[in-house]
Amino acid sequence: MKCEVCSEFLEEYLDSELAPGERERVGAHLIQCVDCSTKFETLAAEQELFARYDREIEVPPFLWTRIAEHALTESNAPRRSWFASLFARRFAGVAAIVLLAIAVGVVYLMSRQATPEKSVVDRVSPTGPTQEQARNTGEIVSRGSTRMNADKSKRQIRRAIHTDRDVSDQSDVLSSDLGYLDIDEQDTAQHIEQTQNLLRSIKNLPVSDSDDEIDVSYDKALSRRLLNENVVLRREAEMKAKFPTKTLLADLEPFLIDIANLPDHARPEDVRVIKERVRKTEIVAALLDYQDRGINNR
Amino acid sequence: MSGAFAGTLMNSSVDLVTRVCQGDADAFRLIFERYSRPVISFIYDMVNDRALAEELTQETFVRAFRAIHTMRAETKLSTWLFGIARNVARESLRARARAGNHVDIADKSVMDLSDKKPAPVEGLLSKELNELIRRSLAALDEDKRLVFTLKVLHQCSYDEIAAITGFSLAKLKTDLHRARAEMRKRISSYAGVGYEV
Repeated sequence: MKCEVCSEFLEEYLDSELAPGERERVGAHLIQCVDCSTKFETLAAEQELFARYDREIEVPPFLWTRIAEHALTESNAPRRSWFASLFARRFAGVAAIVLLAIAVGVVYLMSRQATPEKSVVDRVSPTGPTQEQARNTGEIVSRGSTRMNADKSKRQIRRAIHTDRDVSDQSDVLSSDLGYLDIDEQDTAQHIEQTQNLLRSIKNLPVSDSDDEIDVSYDKALSRRLLNENVVLRREAEMKAKFPTKTLLADLEPFLIDIANLPDHARPEDVRVIKERVRKTEIVAALLDYQDRGINNR
Repeated sequence: MSGAFAGTLMNSSVDLVTRVCQGDADAFRLIFERYSRPVISFIYDMVNDRALAEELTQETFVRAFRAIHTMRAETKLSTWLFGIARNVARESLRARARAGNHVDIADKSVMDLSDKKPAPVEGLLSKELNELIRRSLAALDEDKRLVFTLKVLHQCSYDEIAAITGFSLAKLKTDLHRARAEMRKRISSYAGVGYEV
C-alpha cells in the first residue's frame, strides 16, 4: 500500500470503520512505515484529547420534574399499539350502539306513557338517530375514553415524578398520604421520607472493628442525589417563606454531604462518626415529627 | 444495592420502550435517567448555551414521550433520541439565526486563543483547553459540528450518524474529515499537533 492511500484511510482506520480486508492492509502498512505510523499516533492522541473534553454540564435535578409536568399538561399518554387503538375504536362503536338502543328504548317508553314532560332524549328524531348523530355519540364516547386514558397516564406520571426506585424497601417507614399536598409539598414530603430512610439505614448499619472497610456505595450515590434535591427544595422553601421546612432541610444537608463524601468502601470509624451524629442529634426523630405535624403546621 | 434497583439496571432499552408504550411512565423515567446526560451534552455541543441546552433537553424528552409509540422496533433507542435532539437543536439554531442572534465566534478569537496558550500539563485537560475546544466546536459550521460531535465526542458509528442526521455516508465522511482538519488547526499549537492529513 502506498502512503497516499494509507493517509486516506487513516481516519476510518482510527474510527474502526474499515472493512476487515482494508483494515489489515492499513495495519500492515503502519507497521512498516514510520511516517504513516507517526501520523496515526498523532491522530489517535488528538482523538484522546477530544475524548477528555469536559463540558462541565450536568443534568439539573429539576429537569425530570419539568418534563413530567409538561407531559402532564400538554400531551396525552403515548398511544397504544394499533391493535389496542383499533380495539378502543371498536369499543367506542359498541358503546355508541348501546347508548342509541337505550335512547330509542326510552323514547319508545315515553311515547307510550304519553306524558307532557319532555326530556333530552325526547329530542331525538322519532325516525331514529341519523348517521351524523351516531357519529357524534361515538366521538363523545371515544373522547371520554381518550380522556380516561390520559388521566390514567397523568396519574402514572405524577407517581413517577415522586417515586424513588432507589429506595424500594419502605416497610419500616411511616407512610404519608401525599394526595392532598401540592406538587412542591409532595416533592418535599417525598424527599423527607427518602432522606429519613437513608439516615435510618446509616444509623442501623452494623459496624465492627474487625471490618477493614464497609461498602456504602449505594448510600453514597443515594445521598448525592438527595443532596442535589435538598438544595433545590431548601431554596424553594426559603422563597416561599416556609421557614420550618427550610430549617429542617438546612439541618439535613451536613448529613447528606458527609455521606456523599464517603468513599465507596468507607473506613468503619468514618461510618461510626456519622452514625453517632445521626443518633445524638435525633435528626430522624425531627423528620418523623415533621411528617406527623402535617402540612397545616408548616 | 437493593434488589429492586439492580432489577432496574437490567431493563433493556427495548423493554423500557415497550413498557412506556403500555402506559408505564416509570419506564420513561428510567429512559430519562439513562440518556439525559448524553443528550444534554450533545445538545450543548450543538448550541453552546447551557440554559438553552437544558431547555432543549426538556423539549427532546417531551417529544420523545409523545412519539415513542412511533419508534420502529429495529431502531436503537439512543439513535432515535439523538435524532430528536438533533432536530430540536437544529430548529433552535435556525430560530436563533432568523432572530439575528447568531454570534459568529469563528475565527479570530479562537485562533488567537489557540496560538498563545502553553501546552497543557500531561494527563490533564486544562480549563483553557476545554474552553478552546468549546469555542472551536462552536466555530464549525452546523453540519461539520454535528458529525464531529457525534463521532469524536459521542463515539457513534458512521451508520448511527447517518441514521441520526440523514446524511449520506460520503457526506458525513467528508464533513468529518474537514471538521477534524479545522479543529486540528485551531488546537494545534496548544496540543502540539501539527501536521496535515
